[in-house]
Amino acid sequence: MSPLNRIFAPKTVAHAHCDLPCGVYDPEQARIEAESVYRIIEKYAANEDPTFRTRAIAIKERQADLVKHHLDTLWHDYFKPEHLEVVPNLHELFWSASKQVSKVKASTSIDDAKKLLDLIDEVDAAWKATGGESKTRVAGRPG
Amino acid sequence: MTGPRRVRGIARPDPVRVRLAGPWRVAVAEGSMRPAIEPGDWLLVDPTVARWPRRGSIVVFREPGSDVLAIKRVAARPGDWVTFLGGHLQLGEDEAWLLSDASDAALEAAGFGPAMDSRRYGPVPVEALVGRAWFRYWPGGALGRLPLGRAG
Repeated sequence: MSPLNRIFAPKTVAHAHCDLPCGVYDPEQARIEAESVYRIIEKYAANEDPTFRTRAIAIKERQADLVKHHLDTLWHDYFKPEHLEVVPNLHELFWSASKQVSKVKASTSIDDAKKLLDLIDEVDAAWKATGGESKTRVAGRPG
Repeated sequence: MTGPRRVRGIARPDPVRVRLAGPWRVAVAEGSMRPAIEPGDWLLVDPTVARWPRRGSIVVFREPGSDVLAIKRVAARPGDWVTFLGGHLQLGEDEAWLLSDASDAALEAAGFGPAMDSRRYGPVPVEALVGRAWFRYWPGGALGRLPLGRAG
């Protein structure tokens, strides 16, 4: 800093605040909720008790909403227009993954839940292909 | 440093002696006042103001809740009605409604979240007012008085 700047530079900072997103994104969050959905459907199929089944469906729908939330966050906040060059089918991918969550919410088919896991793995591949692992996680992410 | 003062439940600004201590100049950080004010701008502040200035003025104040020194535009003054959370709210006789210039869409495009202003922390009492920013003296190309403007 020049001597003139040192004289004239303000000593006080005024913040024109906005929310700073934390910048940590990982499809693993969606994957874990989707695995819960998968396991709950397994447990649902193995149990005839109506009370248990009602609870299982309520929990499945709650976890499925979390999957949707985490997918939306990745889609809206992590992925940027320039990532489309690396993953041209990005929008179709998120569209089908979100649609699949809605399907799983309304179904007790294990195949639907498995398909959701596969789609999240594709999102994970897109996240890795765009450098998400090194850019958005603190070093030492479990492998 | 004096704490917030309240007389009969009405907030009062700091006494003149405290206000004269400044700040008289501030550097702006972050971009919620774009395009009128860019991060890195150096502004002259008038810390002697004891009341909320005219609508459209830019003010430096202590942000409610955090006490961080913040800069925003006066969108509404004491007694004005503002829309808030889908309803209406009348500002108290010591309160102002302070908003950012940049739209949420512009901030999102720049990689930031929504602006932090009265839509987040509500009306700001005059005891939090630090001064009115009135002149930009750096960068040289943008030198001059800060005109009245419209938030949002």
